[in-house]
Amino acid sequence: MSAADPLISIVEDDESLRQAMVGLVRSLGYRVASYPSAEDFLAADARDRSNCVITDIQMPGLSGIDLKLRLTAEGVATPVIMVTARAEPALHEKAMASGACCLLRKPFTAEALIDCLDQALAA
Amino acid sequence: MDPAERGDLFDLVQESIVVCDAAGRITAWNAGSTELYGWDAGQALGRPLADLLGAGGDDPALLADGRWEGELARRAADGRELIVEVRRIVRRGADGEPAEIIETARGITERRAAERALRESEYRYRNLFQAMAASFWELDFRPVGQMLREIRKAGVSDYAAHFAAHPEFVREMMRVTRVLAVNEQSVKLFGVDDATALLTTIDRFWPEASTGVYADSVVAAVSGRPSFSRETRLRTLDGREFDAHFTACFPPETVADGKLLIGIIDIGERVRAQRQLQDLQAQFAHAARVSMLGELTASIAHEVNQPLAAIATNASAGMRWLSRPEPDLDELRGINTRVVADAQRAAAIIARVRDMAVRRAPEPRPLSINAVVEEALLFLHHESQGKGVSIELALDPDLPSVMADRTQLQQVVVNLIANAIQAMAADDGPREIRLRTGLDAEGKVSVKIEDTGPGVRPDDLPRLFDSFFTTKADGMGMGLPICRSIIETHGGAIRAENNADGRGACFAFNLPAAEV
Repeated sequence: MSAADPLISIVEDDESLRQAMVGLVRSLGYRVASYPSAEDFLAADARDRSNCVITDIQMPGLSGIDLKLRLTAEGVATPVIMVTARAEPALHEKAMASGACCLLRKPFTAEALIDCLDQALAA
Repeated sequence: MDPAERGDLFDLVQESIVVCDAAGRITAWNAGSTELYGWDAGQALGRPLADLLGAGGDDPALLADGRWEGELARRAADGRELIVEVRRIVRRGADGEPAEIIETARGITERRAAERALRESEYRYRNLFQAMAASFWELDFRPVGQMLREIRKAGVSDYAAHFAAHPEFVREMMRVTRVLAVNEQSVKLFGVDDATALLTTIDRFWPEASTGVYADSVVAAVSGRPSFSRETRLRTLDGREFDAHFTACFPPETVADGKLLIGIIDIGERVRAQRQLQDLQAQFAHAARVSMLGELTASIAHEVNQPLAAIATNASAGMRWLSRPEPDLDELRGINTRVVADAQRAAAIIARVRDMAVRRAPEPRPLSINAVVEEALLFLHHESQGKGVSIELALDPDLPSVMADRTQLQQVVVNLIANAIQAMAADDGPREIRLRTGLDAEGKVSVKIEDTGPGVRPDDLPRLFDSFFTTKADGMGMGLPICRSIIETHGGAIRAENNADGRGACFAFNLPAAEV
């Protein structure tokens, strides 16, 4: 792993899931930074350094969708992969409409994440 | 006998002394006679005794034997009937003929009346004793008194503590307490053919588990309380146990006699009805819990999904590390540790849900209300988060325990918070819940849940806890009535009001502190 490897930022409030995602993304050979909330991510000013953001949708405070809208409003084009445990079609539509490049249903497989990451990093 | 002969003694004695001549006319009349009959000497002297008092008692036996004694009914000056005990003797003259009749008399009207009243009272008591619908027992308490005197001599001053430490002493007291009498109802209640079957010692009627109640009744008796009553279990001679209301009376006069009166009422029916009611209440509470879990399904599924997703993700990462030419064992160890922790977390969530979902008899035990509140919040973690509701807790750390069934109490807290979340989610205002625990003015442990929702319509407030009353489109209207029945069954109260300052409703309940 080197500084040249893409940096993936993970935003997830559930600590154990966050750790698991960090481990998985690292196993794929990427650099990883993780944040327990969208607010922490924004405060760390990691938007421009990240090649991709993976965020949970349901979080206290700003949701994953709020985060994407905020980035778009700021003119940050970093691709955002969203993750949710919910199955409601309305939520999926809302996520895609906000500009998510990919939506993962928990629990997801490594292959599904790899596909999403490939898609996001190719963009 | 002339007055000079008689002297002062004649007027000093309290008894009536009357002397008559051979013709029956009164020749002497002392102060005692005036006192007894109401006639003074001036009125009496010279009059025939039989005319004055109604009955002379001039029996042939008197003349034959020279003396007579017995009871006579006479009439006093004011017309009252008097019962008098009379002794008469005949004094004969030199010729051997009766010269004078001397009598002494005393009134026994009051004594006779008292005796009759006592007989009647005793008769009434026996009648009552027999006729009462309750089972009544007369016990000989004297040997117990003796035992108590002995241990007091040996230095025991606190009977209650001694009995608690020595149940075998209490059993011994029962073994020496004999039954003196029982009424008909006792024969019926205890299923024997004949009252004499019950005239044994009372230990046979007291199951071991009820020993403490007997000990308490002895403490009550010796500490001078007039009576004692308690619900307990008693036993028939053939070993059948039943629920009884036991009463013991310690009136000083019978206690001095070493006799104790106890009453026993069979309350089996009432206890059974109570149990049925409790069972029904538990069934309703269970139904409401299941329905509440149904409403929380999405949140619960999310809660379980979270660790499962972590496990799946960890396993995927593990496969990656394993597929490398040189597997990274440190990464794999970390992953394994996390998988175990996540599996435990999922199991804990499922156990919590299962506790809520199963139906079992309520088990009241001492609980920390704060722990119940915190556990209830675990159910609502995702629900509140998903609806953007913040929950602020102010839990008093110094509260006494409450005696309650954990699942039912949790149900009440979950129900009230879920209602608050729903009320606020349907509304555009701020979404805050303040949950406080503390001691209220009555010294009870209280839980107060305030929200910033639209509040309750004033018209609806009095009906909120009525069955089938609901303001929700898909509500059954059973949640709050069940909450009320749970809280009231545990000896507390629940109320709802709108916050005085600004928006929102406040639901509060209290529960008595558990006795320690």
